[in-house]
Amino acid sequence: MRRTSIAFLAFALASCGEQANPRIEISDAWARETGAGQNTGAAYATIENTGGADDELLAVTTDRATMPMLHSSESVNGVSRMRMLQSLSLPADGTVELRPGGIHIMMEGLKSPLKAGETFEVTFRFKQSGELVVPVKVEAAGAR
Amino acid sequence: MLVKLRFILWALVGVAALAGIWIALKPPAELPSTAEMPLDTIGGPFTLTGSDGQSFNSAGLNGKGTAIFFGFTHCPDVCPTTLARLSKLRKQAGGDDAFNIVFVSVDPERDTPADVGRYAELFNTPVIGLTGSVADIERVKKQFGVYSAKAPLPNGDYSVDHTSTVFLMDRNGKFVATLAPEEGEQVALEKLKRIAA
Repeated sequence: MRRTSIAFLAFALASCGEQANPRIEISDAWARETGAGQNTGAAYATIENTGGADDELLAVTTDRATMPMLHSSESVNGVSRMRMLQSLSLPADGTVELRPGGIHIMMEGLKSPLKAGETFEVTFRFKQSGELVVPVKVEAAGAR
Repeated sequence: MLVKLRFILWALVGVAALAGIWIALKPPAELPSTAEMPLDTIGGPFTLTGSDGQSFNSAGLNGKGTAIFFGFTHCPDVCPTTLARLSKLRKQAGGDDAFNIVFVSVDPERDTPADVGRYAELFNTPVIGLTGSVADIERVKKQFGVYSAKAPLPNGDYSVDHTSTVFLMDRNGKFVATLAPEEGEQVALEKLKRIAA
């Protein structure tokens, strides 16, 4: 009896172990075109965690900006302000959308303007899933 | 008699103490918001600087409705998102000529006339970019009940917290309605149609 329980426990633990991995997919990564002289831009993407465990986005890096960071635009009493996020939780089986007017990658210290039609790379670093390099497409400023 | 006077004096002390407590505990003043402004006082004539460096008078907007948005050119998210949204909705409300879209900088120390001009041109549709002296901008902010404040960034740069409400004015420059970013596209379109030619 005792042996059965242990075996069952071992089996349960093993199957947990199999499921307990986040699986991250990033889609629709885009940035808004910027003008000459603008030192900041914003990039957006949809981050899906199809795995059975939580993950966390810890950092974003890119060659195109000296200080890219995760930001969230918030509106209180009609006043909008940006708040820096230290990290972004990605719950198991969940989707987090980085979108205009919400959470976004603030590309502080743009080295050159983002031109509509071009693509640049952003590296997303996750707590569990390591790094993912994603091509980000620059869209016309008025596109969406 | 003396007892009565003593009672009155003590009562006054009590009132003063209560007033002190009330002042100490009273909630701090909230951020000024346009909601607190009497609506018929929003707006009015103003003079700022256009993207060509020349003086721009608001009388030049009359004859068409106007959507006025206050922002800054180093704003990566909310400002271009709002201007892109207004541009798209204007096309749906009757086309690029349906009403004026005006972008007023709340960061006049950084935003030169050329900066606001380049920013306005990004949207491939007519957008009037305006800036001015710090005093000019403060005056117009007050006319519209707009709040803005610098918010430092870790690299020594700064962002600007600001009112993100769009002000909709009629063809005579009279206030019609506000449009908040949270309002849905259908509501926004209906509101913009009210100022569309």
